[in-house]
Amino acid sequence: MAIEDIKEFSYHIGWRNRGRHPGRHASTQRGMGMEFIGHTSLLNYPDPRRIDLRQTIRDPMEQVYVRLFNQKSATPVFVICDLSGSMNFGSKTRKIRKAADIAESIARSATRNSDPFGFVGFDEVVREDWISIASFKSQRAIDLCERLKEHHPEPVSGSGIDDVWRFLPRERSLVFMVSDFHMPLEQLEGALSNLTRHHIVPVVLWDADEYTNLPENGITAVTDPESGAKRTLFLRKSYRDKIIESFEARRAAIYKIFMEFDMPPFYVEGDFDADRLTEYFHQFVAA
Amino acid sequence: MAFSQPWLLWLLPLAFLPLVFQRAHSKNYSWLDMLPADPLSDLIGLILKVLAVFTLLFIVLGLSAPHTKQQEVERIGVGAQISLVLDRSASMDDAFSGTTENSLGESKSAAAARLITQFVQSRKNDMLGMITFSNSAMYVLPLTENKEAMVAAVRATAGNALFQTNIGSGLTAGAGLFDSVPDSGSRAVILLSDGGGRIGAEAQQKIRDWFDRMHISLYWIVLRQPGGLSIFDKNYAPNPDKALPPEIELFEFFKTMKTEFHAYEADDPKSLQLAIDDINRKEKKPIKYLEKIPGKDLSNLCFIIAAIMITLLLGVKYLEINTWRN
Repeated sequence: MAIEDIKEFSYHIGWRNRGRHPGRHASTQRGMGMEFIGHTSLLNYPDPRRIDLRQTIRDPMEQVYVRLFNQKSATPVFVICDLSGSMNFGSKTRKIRKAADIAESIARSATRNSDPFGFVGFDEVVREDWISIASFKSQRAIDLCERLKEHHPEPVSGSGIDDVWRFLPRERSLVFMVSDFHMPLEQLEGALSNLTRHHIVPVVLWDADEYTNLPENGITAVTDPESGAKRTLFLRKSYRDKIIESFEARRAAIYKIFMEFDMPPFYVEGDFDADRLTEYFHQFVAA
Repeated sequence: MAFSQPWLLWLLPLAFLPLVFQRAHSKNYSWLDMLPADPLSDLIGLILKVLAVFTLLFIVLGLSAPHTKQQEVERIGVGAQISLVLDRSASMDDAFSGTTENSLGESKSAAAARLITQFVQSRKNDMLGMITFSNSAMYVLPLTENKEAMVAAVRATAGNALFQTNIGSGLTAGAGLFDSVPDSGSRAVILLSDGGGRIGAEAQQKIRDWFDRMHISLYWIVLRQPGGLSIFDKNYAPNPDKALPPEIELFEFFKTMKTEFHAYEADDPKSLQLAIDDINRKEKKPIKYLEKIPGKDLSNLCFIIAAIMITLLLGVKYLEINTWRN
C-alpha cells in the first residue's frame, strides 16, 4: 500500500503529557506555547521576551514579571498488537492483516500529528522481532506493518499480553491495543491493571464469520488455532443461536472489564473505517 | 466361522487409524472456547469416527473372506446307490432293427441315453455313478448326488465307439465305485449291454466276490437284436461241440452270483423302458444319506455393510460445509 493511501484519523488526548518535544497535545512543559498559565519573576524565568509590562508596573515591590506559557508537546502513540494464533482467522481478510492496516493508519496519523509512534507485538511472549521503538519517523513502523500483513501467526496463545507493559515508556502514552481479546478474562484483567498508567484504546477485532455469519446448516470439523484441539460441529438454527448468544455474552463481559478500567472499547467488524475512530475520540475523549 | 485369507487379518489394526489421525480438512476457528458445548455435535463427531473405524474393519474382514463351515446333515430318503455300467461298443450305435416307426433310426445308445436320463430325473435321493466300457472300462463319474453331473455324464457317452466288449472290466470298475462310499443299504449295478462278452474265470471269481462283499445287486439289461438269441429261450439247446454263446454263458455266470440278480431283455425302446421302470420300482428302499450344506460366504455381507457405512460417510460429506473458507 502506498503511504498516501493509508487512511488517517484525528485523535486527541484528554490529559496533559510531560513531553519536551514540541507537538500538538496539551502539556505541562513550560515553553513557547499559547497557553497562559501565570506570572513569575524574571529572576525565576529569565526570558526577557516574555516580560509582562502591565503586571510589572502594577507591582508595588517593583519586580519584573514574565508571563509563563505551556507549550504543546508530542505524546508517544503505541500499538500493541496480538500475534497469537487466533489472529489468523478471517474469511475475507485475516485479522492479523486487518490489525496491520489499523496499525498503519495509526502510525500515519501519529506522524501527521508530530507524535512518535511505536509498535509492540506479542503472542506467547512479547515478540522482540515485532517491536518498533517509538520514533517520529514512521517509515520503519509502516515497513513492519507491511511485513505483518503477510505474517501467519504461529499456533500459540496470547499470554504475552501480561508482559507488554514492560516495553512501554514510563510516561503516559496513547496505546492502541489491537486484538480479538480471545483470551481468558482473568488474563485480560491482569494485563490491563498493569497498563493503567497509559491511555488505552482497546480495538476489538471480531469477524462476522465467527458468529453471526456462520454457515446455515451442516457438519464441519473445527480446529483451535492456539491449542490445536479439534471439535466436530453440527451447525443448525438452534446451535447458531447459541453461538451468537455466547458471543454477545462475551462482548458484555469484555465491555464490563474495559469499562472498569475506563477504557471504552472500539469494535472493528468487517472493514476498518478510520473515520469511525475519529468519531470514537470525539465521543469518548474530552478535548 | 473360518477365513480363507486369515493372514489379511493382520491388517485389522489399520482400522483404528481414524482414531489416531484427525480429519485433515478441519477448518480453523478463532477460539473454540467461544463455541458453547453441544452434545449432538459431539455425538456426531464420535459416530463419524466409529463409522470410519467400522468401515475399515469390515473391508479388512471382507478381504479375508470369512465363511461358515460346511455342514453335513443326515437325511433319510428313498433311493439307492446305483452305478450304471454302459456298453459303448460299436454295436450300440446301431438302430434297433424292425422297431416301431416313431423311433425308427434311433440308435441303441441314444435310446439308452434318453431313457437313462429320464430314469435319473425320476429318482430323488439316489447316488448315481457311471462307468462305460468297450475294450476296457472308462471311469466317467463317481457316485454322486448331483443329478446335473449325471445327466451331463449320460450325454457325454455319445460319441465314437470301439469294437470290443469287455464286460468283466466294466463290472469290476462299476463295483469299484462303491468302494469308497458308505453303504446306504441299497446298492445296485445296472449293466446295459447288447449281447454278451466272455469273462475269464479269474475275473468271474473277482466279480462274484466283490458283489457279494459290497452287497451289490445286479440288473442286466440286454439289448437284443430282434430275432436274435434270447437268454430266456427255454428251448435253446446248446451245441455240445461248441462253446456256449457269450450271452448264455454270461447269464449262467450271473445266476451263480450270491447277490440279487435280475435280467431283462429289450429289443426296442419300449421294452427298454419297461425294464428300467421295473428297476426303478425295485430299487426303492429307505436310505440314510448325508447332505452336505456348503458354508456361506460372508465376505459379501462384510462388503455390503462397509458400503452402507461409506454411503453414510458420503452423506455426511454432502452435508459438510464448504462455503466457510477457513
